[in-house]
Parts: sequence; C-alpha cells; structure tokens
Amino acid sequence: MSTREVFTDRLQAGVLLLPTMLVSLLFLYYPTVRAVGLSFYRASLARGDVFVGLENYRRLAGSSEYLRSVLISVLFATCVVVGVMAVALCVSFLIHEVEVGKGLYLVAVIWPYALPPAVAGLVFLFIAHPNIGIFTGYIEALGVDVNWFSNGPQAFVVVLIAAVWKQVGYNVIFMTAALGNVPESLTETAELDGVSRTQRLLRVYVPIISPTLVFLVIMNTIYGFFGTFAMVDLMTKGGPAGATNILIYDLYRTAFQFYEFGFASAKSVVLFVAVGLLMYGQFRLSDRYAYYGG
Amino acid sequence: MLGSLLTVLTAAAERSRAAGRTASERIQRFETEQVTLHVLAATVVFLIVLPVLIAALVSTKRAGIVTSISDLAPGGHALSNYRHALIGLEFWRFMLNSFVMSVTVVVGKLIVSLLAALVIVYYRFPYKNAVFLFILFTLLLPVPVRFVPLYRLTTELGMGNTVFAITVPYLASATTVFILRQHFLSIPASLVETAKVDGVGPLRFLWSVLIPMSRAVLVGVSVIMFVYTWNQYLWPLVIVNAEDLQVAQVGLSLLRGQASTGEVAWSMVMTGSILTLLPPLALLVLFRRQLLETFTIQQK
Repeated sequence: MSTREVFTDRLQAGVLLLPTMLVSLLFLYYPTVRAVGLSFYRASLARGDVFVGLENYRRLAGSSEYLRSVLISVLFATCVVVGVMAVALCVSFLIHEVEVGKGLYLVAVIWPYALPPAVAGLVFLFIAHPNIGIFTGYIEALGVDVNWFSNGPQAFVVVLIAAVWKQVGYNVIFMTAALGNVPESLTETAELDGVSRTQRLLRVYVPIISPTLVFLVIMNTIYGFFGTFAMVDLMTKGGPAGATNILIYDLYRTAFQFYEFGFASAKSVVLFVAVGLLMYGQFRLSDRYAYYGG
Repeated sequence: MLGSLLTVLTAAAERSRAAGRTASERIQRFETEQVTLHVLAATVVFLIVLPVLIAALVSTKRAGIVTSISDLAPGGHALSNYRHALIGLEFWRFMLNSFVMSVTVVVGKLIVSLLAALVIVYYRFPYKNAVFLFILFTLLLPVPVRFVPLYRLTTELGMGNTVFAITVPYLASATTVFILRQHFLSIPASLVETAKVDGVGPLRFLWSVLIPMSRAVLVGVSVIMFVYTWNQYLWPLVIVNAEDLQVAQVGLSLLRGQASTGEVAWSMVMTGSILTLLPPLALLVLFRRQLLETFTIQQK
C-alpha cells in the first residue's frame, strides 16, 4: 500500500504548523471571539468598557434604520449574484460557442478580475457623474433625470452596475473552464436532436456545470456583502438617505465615525451569523440540486 | 420483426439522404451563426472594456471634464499627467507601500502555507482532520467580520500605523493551504517514499522536490494572493492613518476627495486609477496560464 504520510515526528509537525496556527488564532479566531464578547459592552475609544448585556442587540432589533440596512444589503447581494451570474453565463456561452479567437475574447473579458474595487468605483463615479458624466447628457436626452447623488434608487442601480461589472470577469474564468469540460458527445447529441442553442445552454450545460455555479453563488454572495465596500465608500458613502448603506458600510461607520465599538461588534456578530447561515443554506440547496457528474 | 427492422432502415436511409441534401445549407447557416456570435462577443467585450478605456483616455487630457463622446479624443498630456500623479502628488509613495505590503504578504503566505500543506499531506499525526478543518474554517472569518476587534488588538500590540499591521493579519491563508494540498495530493506518493528511503528529511523534500514540481501552482497562487492583497481597501483605511504609509487603494480615495473640492483635476483621478490597476493587470496577463491552472485546482 502506497502512502504519502511517511513522516511521523509529531514535534516537527507541530513546529511546521505553528506559523499558520498562530496567525489564525491571533488574527482570525481571537478577534472573532472577541467581537462576540465586545458586543455585550458599551465600548468606545475614550471611556472604558461597560458591560451592558444584551442592550446592543436590543438596540439593533429596535432600529428601523438598521432593519433598512439589512433589507438593502440582502437586496443588493441578491441583485449582484443574479446579475453577475446571468451576464457571466451569457458571456461564457458566447466564448464557448465561438469557433476561433476564444483565447482573445477570454483575455479581453477576464481582466476585471484584477481590477481593484476602488478603481471600479472611481471609474463609474466619473463616467456616471450627474454633472460631468460622459453618458449623463445622453441618458438625460432620453428623458431620465440623472441625479443619483440625491436619488436613492438611482444610486443603488449605479453602484450595482459597477459591482456587477467588476465581478463578471471572475465568474467567466470558472464558467468557461467548466463549459470546456462538458463532454463533446453531449453537445453533438443535443445538436442532432435539433435542440436550439439556448435550450442546449439551459437544459444541458447549466445542469452539468451546476457544481461550479454553486461555488460561484457562494463567492458572489460574499462579494456582494463584503467586496463592494470600496465602491460604496467612494461612490455614495452609503447615501443618499441610506439607499446604499449596506451592512458592511453601516458597520464601518458605527465603528470608525461614531467610535461605538460595542455596538459595532454586535453588528459584526449579526453579519457573521447571517453570512454563515446563508452559506449553509446554499450548501444544503446545492446538495439537492447540483449534478455531480457520473 | 423483419418488417419493423425494414421500417427503421428506410427511415435511417431517408434521414441520411435529407442530411446530404441540406449539407451545404447547413454549412451556410453555420457560418452566419458564427458571424452573429462574433458580433455579439465583440460587443460584450467592448462594453466591458469601455469604462477603463474612457478612464485611460481621460488620463491623457488636461482638465478631464468630458461630457460627451466627442470629448474623448486622446489629449497630449499623458506624460505630464502620469509624472504629476507619481511625483507631484506623491502617488509613487502609495504605490510603493502597496508593493511592499503585497510582496510581503505573498512571500509570507507562501512560506507559512507551504509548511502547513507539507504537514497536512505528508505527516501522520493525531487530529489531523481537525487541524485541517481549523484552517479551512477561517474562510468564514473575512476581515469585515472581525475588523473592529482586530483594530483594537493591533493598536494594543503597538502595531498600528506600521507595515506589520497591514501584512501580518493576512499571513495565514486557508485558500493557499487548500490549493497546495490539492496539488500535493496529485503528486505520486512513491516520490516521497523514495525520498524517505534515501533519508531525505521533510524540509529538504519540500525544497528540492515539492517546490520544483509545483512551479506553475506557486506562480498561480502568488498572482491570486497579490491581486487580493493589492486590492485591499477597508483594512488599510482603518488601521493606517499616517498618510505616508497609506496604500494605493486608499490613496485613490484621497484623490477623489481632492477632485470633489476642485484641488485636482478629474483627469488626475483617472491617472491614479490606471496606475493602481496596472500592477495586478500586468500579472494577470503575464501569468494567465498558471492562474487558470490554479483556479482549476481551487474549484476541485
């Protein structure tokens, strides 16, 4: 019997694992645990911490402003996931179906993967600026009054487009790889049976690449909740009137504009639990619907 | 029995005849379809590239107020804009800080994760699965969930406003350990057995066998980690308040503020954006093959 586990010195193993374990404990686990602890305190920069029990959570539950932020985050993340995956699936399918020049299209499409979210936010702020945006004049000629510095729904849409645009490249990388692995014979059978292109995508390819799609739903959800902070900060600062105040931005403001560390910790605990539950739910769902080859 | 066989055969013959008749038609249709696909793909590519293309064009102009497509002709100020951004506005300092941060994190992560992956694949010890889970579970603890206590911890440790604060918390990486583990598992087990018989120790095995055999994956992982670190915004924003230690992402935010108050032209903001985008983009283009290979492993 062949085995890789040929080294048995436990002390050696411990020493080699030490850096990873130490950094994980100190900078990942400990702060998370401490966030839970801190959420029971009234804590700020200047004064000492005062134990207040569940007060922070009670405050959260009673805050309509926070509830609004929760709804906006969920709506935003959902739109990001659906938007990114729909666009990326179409783009990947186009690249998959093209006979020549695949590589060129792929390089031209996946580069936003390297794009910093801050750059995405700034570029969109500039090209969609209500006063100096390059397309603003054209859009206003169509009868829409571009005013997203004061119009909430418009601000939401502009940030959403920037967020989707930045994330499409990442999804295309995985989707084209998955589409490339679909057996040729399946495509041929579908073509002989006279299945149309769109039907082939939806009925044949999507079920087969569903493990990849599930993986991407999870990555995009995390991105929707956390990865768009820079865009919100640079484009709208959570406004106007809280219309783009997603949870992570709200959390940042509580901690570093109002310096309410205890209250902020309660918010990060809620965020942690929410994202954990969401991911667990997606895993369970994916188990039921995903097609794992064979 | 024979009758039904005959029906099937006739039907098949008819079908093949029909296929022959329409063969040229089908090729024709196929070609128009391909042209349509190319037009669609080119349009999509253009739309995706367009925003950065506009930013690049604006970064060559003096004022940078473009309110219509006709304003997009490239200006002649590319050189002076980039020089002014880098030297006049001291953007070189932000870029350098980002470089130091990213390279430190990449090198540190590689060392730390290589050691961990070596142990997880090639050592036998109790509670091994638990250790692996302990590392994987950190995927659920991204910076945004823990940055409030992390801020307190790093300032208490006296690490606020230092290069340690923006690098050390990133050193442990579940993703890197996971990718390396997957790759090590695809290397034949006989290799390590031979090494063991020859009396080669684990570190020697890592250095002269595993690392040379993992070159593509190591490059891919490095690119992924570099892009990830380079693009960090929230944590540097929170933990660093000395401007000369700040990174490019937050430097952009400073430029944005100056543009809103009219201190710098918008073309400067676009110049800074293009500068900030270039390093990760260059890595992606240079090492796209290794990167795609590594992504394939990550997905497994």
